[in-house]
Amino acid sequence: MTAQTRPLPQPSAWSAPFWQAARDRRLVIQRCTSCDEKIMYPRRFCPVCLGEALEFVPAKGTGEIYTLTTQMAGPPSGFEAMLPYVLAVIRLDEGVQMMSNIVGDGALGARIGDRVTVDFATVEGSDTVLPVFRLAGDGQ
Amino acid sequence: MKKTTAAVVGIGEVPTGKYPDRSELDAALTACRAAILDAGLGPRDIDVILPTGALASRHFNVDLVFSRLCEELGMNRSLKMNCQVMAGGATSSSILAVAEGLIAAGMARRVLCVHSDAVGSLPKQAGIDLFATTGVSEEWEAPYGHNMNAVGALATQRYMHETGTTEEELAAVCVALRKWAMLNPHAMFRTPLTVEEVMASKMVATPLRAKECNMLADGAAAFVVAAAGDARAISESPVFLRGHGSLVTHYTLSQERDLARLGFPEAARAAYAEAGIGPDAIQLAQIYDAYPVWPLMSLDGLGLCRGTPAGAFVAAGETAPGGSLPMTTNGGMLSQGHTGVGGGIAVLVEAFRQLMGKAGARQVAGLVNAVETASGGTWMDSHVTILSREAA
Repeated sequence: MTAQTRPLPQPSAWSAPFWQAARDRRLVIQRCTSCDEKIMYPRRFCPVCLGEALEFVPAKGTGEIYTLTTQMAGPPSGFEAMLPYVLAVIRLDEGVQMMSNIVGDGALGARIGDRVTVDFATVEGSDTVLPVFRLAGDGQ
Repeated sequence: MKKTTAAVVGIGEVPTGKYPDRSELDAALTACRAAILDAGLGPRDIDVILPTGALASRHFNVDLVFSRLCEELGMNRSLKMNCQVMAGGATSSSILAVAEGLIAAGMARRVLCVHSDAVGSLPKQAGIDLFATTGVSEEWEAPYGHNMNAVGALATQRYMHETGTTEEELAAVCVALRKWAMLNPHAMFRTPLTVEEVMASKMVATPLRAKECNMLADGAAAFVVAAAGDARAISESPVFLRGHGSLVTHYTLSQERDLARLGFPEAARAAYAEAGIGPDAIQLAQIYDAYPVWPLMSLDGLGLCRGTPAGAFVAAGETAPGGSLPMTTNGGMLSQGHTGVGGGIAVLVEAFRQLMGKAGARQVAGLVNAVETASGGTWMDSHVTILSREAA
């Protein structure tokens, strides 16, 4: 393990379309074609009916902060230069949840329940693009 | 109410802290020996060893899987099974349930459960990085900088949002645990602590401050579980396993949809029903901590605060020495130290110790019934176990 390398997602066969979409600045989630369940993060099988016919559909890219914290100290390796950074669980308007960072104007003052909009950030030195979120009305 | 099938008849533990010169094997053997002797048994009376998982040393963990303790403790050709049980922080409640099940099924009569680890002797950053992988998704969470202190912080924020709990009330959890730890010679932190000192410590992950984040430590503990029918012949003070309830709510914290409660209300209902013992009859609460939010959430879910919000209950001193509901009298992970899987084992062993009347300066008088809780990974599961000096 290289001490100072920030961990990057290693896509699986079934999650690769999610990361490709992120590189195209699109947020997608899965939908089960059998039972219509909306799914995030991408799964191998539908967690409701175990169906295997899952498709990626566009997400609106909006939601609200379910919970958050500002990391001030003691980060995992690779995140020292990012301090302070805001880690959040976002509840998308489709009802599914995902972890992300809150970035941009006002991020350090963000609160539970605040509305957020997706943005995309390339991890320096990589071709990985992470979906991140800005407070609604941040002006981007 | 379930008929009691198993009881704990012996316990052993080594001091918790930074012991770089004490090997995990030495600590494990010392704790096992103490537990077997505490039960008044010999090594060949044990028919099953259930070692927990160890995190700091892969080599030691492999030794635990491959019967090293059996051979070192003189059980070759008498032991029937050595089988590792691992559920992270919930290994305590889980291993007890497995031992009880083996005994209830007639597949074992004396089960030795043991934990030993040396996560406290890892370099600090290695400890942070190790715990940033325990229940954290490499693909969906780690790339954003998720880590164990953030797990505690994210849950704390949601809990405060839903309950109105204050930062001072969170700090009061640490203070109450420290008061108990000051009476525990095995604890890592035994100097006085005040709410003001907690509030003045460095912010780590809002709203959690340094003194609200547990410290990794080295430690080991063991206990012997026997058939309930044999228990009084073995021990003067057996602890009977009366009820257990549990619920797995998630793998990744970001998928949890009820982060202010988790599965504790459901687990508590099941445990109380199985035990035939309700919250009003609980005299000691051994509550898995690691961060102050979890004891508060657990107290709420278990209905132990008589209608008072848990934060106000703890801030009023009700869980500290002299309070109406002694809680986590070993000092918990926040003051005894967080030995990995063993943080929960220590909380559980303290429940046995108290019910056996062997808790020394911190002994709670007149104890009959206690409750123990645990949770693993990113609080993936909620376990509630009811223990008693009386069988059913």
